[in-house]
Amino acid sequence: MPTIIVKDLSISYKAPVREARLSSAFVSLIRRQYREIKAVQGLSFEIDAGEIVGFIGPNGAGKTSTLKMLSGILHPTGGEASVLGFVPWRRERSFLKEIAMIRGSQPIGGPVELTVLDALHFQQLIYEVSDDAFQKNLSELTEMLELGPLLRRQVRALSLGERMRAGLALSLLYRPRVLFLDEPTLGLDVTATGMMRRFIANYCLQTGATILLTSHYMADVETLCKKVILIDKGSMRYNGPLITLSTTLSPYKLLKVTVFDQASPVWSSYGEVVELEDNKVSLRIHREQTPAVTARLLAELPVVDLSVEDPPLESVIDQIYKGERV
Amino acid sequence: MHLLRLLAVSIKRQFLEWMGWRAFLITLVVNQTVAPLLGLAVWSVALPGSTQIPTYYMALLIVQLMTVSYEQHTFSNGLYDGTLSHELLKPQPVVIGLLGTNIAARLLHVLIGLPIILIVGAITSISFAPVAPRFIVGVLLAIPAVLLAAILRFLFMYLLALSAFWTERAHGVAGFGETLAFLLGGSAAPIPLFPQSIRPLGELLPFRYMLGFPAEIASGSLNEVLQGYGYQVCWIGVFALAAIFAWRAGLRRFMAVGG
Repeated sequence: MPTIIVKDLSISYKAPVREARLSSAFVSLIRRQYREIKAVQGLSFEIDAGEIVGFIGPNGAGKTSTLKMLSGILHPTGGEASVLGFVPWRRERSFLKEIAMIRGSQPIGGPVELTVLDALHFQQLIYEVSDDAFQKNLSELTEMLELGPLLRRQVRALSLGERMRAGLALSLLYRPRVLFLDEPTLGLDVTATGMMRRFIANYCLQTGATILLTSHYMADVETLCKKVILIDKGSMRYNGPLITLSTTLSPYKLLKVTVFDQASPVWSSYGEVVELEDNKVSLRIHREQTPAVTARLLAELPVVDLSVEDPPLESVIDQIYKGERV
Repeated sequence: MHLLRLLAVSIKRQFLEWMGWRAFLITLVVNQTVAPLLGLAVWSVALPGSTQIPTYYMALLIVQLMTVSYEQHTFSNGLYDGTLSHELLKPQPVVIGLLGTNIAARLLHVLIGLPIILIVGAITSISFAPVAPRFIVGVLLAIPAVLLAAILRFLFMYLLALSAFWTERAHGVAGFGETLAFLLGGSAAPIPLFPQSIRPLGELLPFRYMLGFPAEIASGSLNEVLQGYGYQVCWIGVFALAAIFAWRAGLRRFMAVGG
């Protein structure tokens, strides 16, 4: 049975709206007008145990709302969801002890005057972690997240990267079986980002945890996730292997051609020129036309090098986000 | 038992947290002492030679520090800045964390306020000797009243703080509540000194039972103590039910529109 099952999940809410004029402001005092925002609409997917799934989409697509519904913070307006067999928004104690949600924008909640070690001890008591398990988990987390120098420091004095490491340690101390990671590498430098990615992959490998990860950094998704779910404006656009995302969503291939210096072909007669530099060109060609165009290029031009590639994931996603053709 | 253990954890955690705000705590304590000390000064001038007034305001000062509540900050701000989400993810009722914060703050208020209490006691030369047996009885009877007042004041402030689910201005709502408690709770004037026309109102409303009532008992007004306990229990029931209702409605709203 899949760890996470989502069926027709929807959430919408009313946002107050009014015109910009002073008279409208007065009118809104008496009669408020609302607009219905459909944050998530009819979302359905399943995630098996031990999977790391990338949950991607542009700003306002409904990613965080979905994570909040699956972690029990938000109540949907429609549909069903099951996480580890629990209905998340009932917020049963046994459910909350099995999940963690970590937000890159706010990795640690609660008292900030405590030291990291104090906070970990309190987490042990709240989640009823035995002393043996606490010591074992703490030493593993300390090693993997390089927490040693942070343990005696107050939470409020930590940098963003340090907060994220401490936040992960606090959330993973009780070994949750499902992790919801919302932009875990937000604002981190290259080193901290690398460490975070390695850590997430190791945690999943060691514990068999299921992870649903949102990130605007495609490198996070490419490094960690074999499967992705792409949503836009609250609705599903793609759900499947990362490797076929470009193929599915982009009807184009990228042809990179290098010719002898002397040649000066009219590149636009072969396809849409994406990039041109001296005797090298990148052409965007419709998938079905790729074999024919490749044959023409080889027949008509002094080709030195030629490669056929899927467009980079980053640019496919960028175009989807912009609502352009892919 | 499990909830009590969680509450103990929360108190300890928040005690450590508040300890990190020493300077801020001192200003909070001083701020809490202003109203009783002002009342003491005004009424000592108005009723010179009264032995009950200094004892009443001294007791009120202690009650004020023992029942202090800042839920408009601890809860409402958490809702505004999104940290309530963290609390909702914890496998414990959200109110446990708030109670822990409240009790820890009260313990520290009493601890830091102790020198002020001693100094005021020395300056006003309160003498309990002539009424010692009555005083001891008064203090013993005041203890349950203080405990009930502590619960009542927490529930009152918590209820006002829950307005944060519906408004961005919960501090204004709570500030209005605090003003009512000052005017009608026995700080501005002891309820027995209220004009005859509005005294029944003061005796009926919940504010007296948050502040003035325990202080009245401790200063020797031992009439109708049981009736006062009864009022306290009734108001606790009313505010507890209102808080449960408001929490559920507010949480439904929060879970519907997000934090």
